[in-house]
Amino acid sequence: MIGISSARGSAVGVAVPLLVFACGICAYASLATGGRIDVAVWDLFRESGTGTSVMRDIRTPRTLVALCVGVNLGLAGLILQAVTRNPLASPAILGINQGAALGLTLGLVIPSLTSVLGLKAMSISGAFLAGLVSFTIAGGLRGRLDGLRLVLGGVAVGAFSYAMVRFAFTLEDDIARQVLRWTIGNITDVRMAAVREIAGWSVAGFLATMLLAHRLNLMALGEAQATGLGADPRITLLGGAIIAACLTGTAVAVAGPIAFVGLVVPHICRLIFGADHRVLVPATALLGAALMMAADAASKWLTAPIEIPVGVVVAMIGAPYFLYQTLFARGLD
Amino acid sequence: MRLSVLFALLVLGLTLSAVWSLSAGAVPISWQVIANTLFDLEGPKQEFIILKSRLPRTLLAMLTGGSLALSGAIVQALLRNPLASPKIIGINSGAALGVCLMVLVLPGVSIAWLPAAAVIGGVAAALVIYLGADLRGASPVRLALVGIAVGFVFDAGVDFILVTSTDAQFSTPLIWLTGSLWARGWTHLNLVWPWLTVLAVMAMLLSYWLDLIRLGETAATGLGLRVRFARLVLLSLAVFLAALSVSVVGVLGFVGLMAPHIARSLVGGSHKVMLPCAMLVGMWLVVLADAAGRAIAPPVEVSAGVLTAMLGAPFFVYVMIRAGRATRV
Repeated sequence: MIGISSARGSAVGVAVPLLVFACGICAYASLATGGRIDVAVWDLFRESGTGTSVMRDIRTPRTLVALCVGVNLGLAGLILQAVTRNPLASPAILGINQGAALGLTLGLVIPSLTSVLGLKAMSISGAFLAGLVSFTIAGGLRGRLDGLRLVLGGVAVGAFSYAMVRFAFTLEDDIARQVLRWTIGNITDVRMAAVREIAGWSVAGFLATMLLAHRLNLMALGEAQATGLGADPRITLLGGAIIAACLTGTAVAVAGPIAFVGLVVPHICRLIFGADHRVLVPATALLGAALMMAADAASKWLTAPIEIPVGVVVAMIGAPYFLYQTLFARGLD
Repeated sequence: MRLSVLFALLVLGLTLSAVWSLSAGAVPISWQVIANTLFDLEGPKQEFIILKSRLPRTLLAMLTGGSLALSGAIVQALLRNPLASPKIIGINSGAALGVCLMVLVLPGVSIAWLPAAAVIGGVAAALVIYLGADLRGASPVRLALVGIAVGFVFDAGVDFILVTSTDAQFSTPLIWLTGSLWARGWTHLNLVWPWLTVLAVMAMLLSYWLDLIRLGETAATGLGLRVRFARLVLLSLAVFLAALSVSVVGVLGFVGLMAPHIARSLVGGSHKVMLPCAMLVGMWLVVLADAAGRAIAPPVEVSAGVLTAMLGAPFFVYVMIRAGRATRV
């Protein structure tokens, strides 16, 4: 990494391998847990057999989806926190998750829309629109972004979108339980097709965020300084918003609106690695992936044999953390 | 004079909505049949549907709508925060978790204990907010944020319980979770109406305390009010009203936010008049939401809570923007 002071550099030198190692452990835990105890991870490398097909067709896709969703949501949270300069910003709290869910729902309920745009485009545009509305409510368009109003407006946008989703589904069919599971965030039934849908977006989103990292650093200096250094904050904001919407939209399309990953992961990374986004971007991606895979393992193992949606596991950790932040975060009022 | 006309109009509107609520649903019933059944007149009747299902349901909608509105009005006055409401400050979610926990831990217990569990949960949520934010002198917007976060925490608990239990008994809480009057009957009504009526009367009698508190702490003390005691009593009233409502109809969001604002713009800020007006508006809102939910696409029902959230979330944003302007200028 270029331009990191030596003390910070050595910390990074220790922490990055540690993160990769943690990712490996979490991936193993996610692969090793599940309904059938007689299936082990090394079945993956056998020629054939029940264990092998369980590993290849059920557990591996699920772990990979968890990994990609973790990367997507972590990065989206990191970008949003940087461009709004608000420590509480994250896809779920700004209503972007729920907006994506609403876009997706509309796509499912109104087939003619889907045939024109495709489900993923619906989800992404829902995410973008919801973010735009929250941003407008907070006065962002007039150049005076109010931190608390951004969060409260986002919560209201989220509540509205969520109500709309429930409304559309109750009208469509009596599938309340599935809707509940999906609206919390669930990856129980994903297959290889889902991995193919999201993996490309995760990689592209990661690269795009890396390209944006320098601009995110300038953003932290304040808008005037950023402009002075040749990085127009409006372009950073727009680019960041588009990337965040794509990352969130694709994650929601596969796994449902999983909350709090985008809030917690960037916070932890900033605590360990400081404020340089060129380090934070890869660190957030790794930690987000590790967290989601660990949550996936926990969702299979905590209440076995019943599986809980992974979104619930994350919320049990994330919601108390959010409460802690609202009580003690500085620089909001 | 103007006031009595206004109240007469509100009561008239409420009555008309109640009649609509009795007629709408999977089996549409004409108003003649409703009149025949209710007043035991000659002619065709629909006793089973009206007396066993829709009448208790409509009464319950009025009861809970009025209670939530009163609770919201009290909370807004106490915290001097236009954004406050039982839902926003987390009391509703706390009550919901209390009920879910009771059903989970003590499956055999009769539903007569549900209100008690709801009150305990609501008090817990109110305590967190009071200790965490109010005592530290947080700004109104900050307080609302803390309340939302408390709500998230309790909601996470409720979600966990709902998705981990495969029991059939949880299919009802599932619907109940978004605030619905589906399948509510006389048992539920009988469970809460005595309490809620007493609490509502107490709120009306103590309304002048709210006016005094609005003058500020020193002025209120000077006028002979024991402010701390009064705040405690009023806050308990608000928590009990909201939690008891939640225990029977679930988390009906945003009624406690909207009704007091509408009432204030109709009759002004004096609580002696504002509280009854807010109560009527709250009743009206919930009766309308419940009736509309049944009328949109029969036989499917849309939860009343979904409809109030669709109305209430934009309303919240509107109040927030207006409150922001007021403090900034």
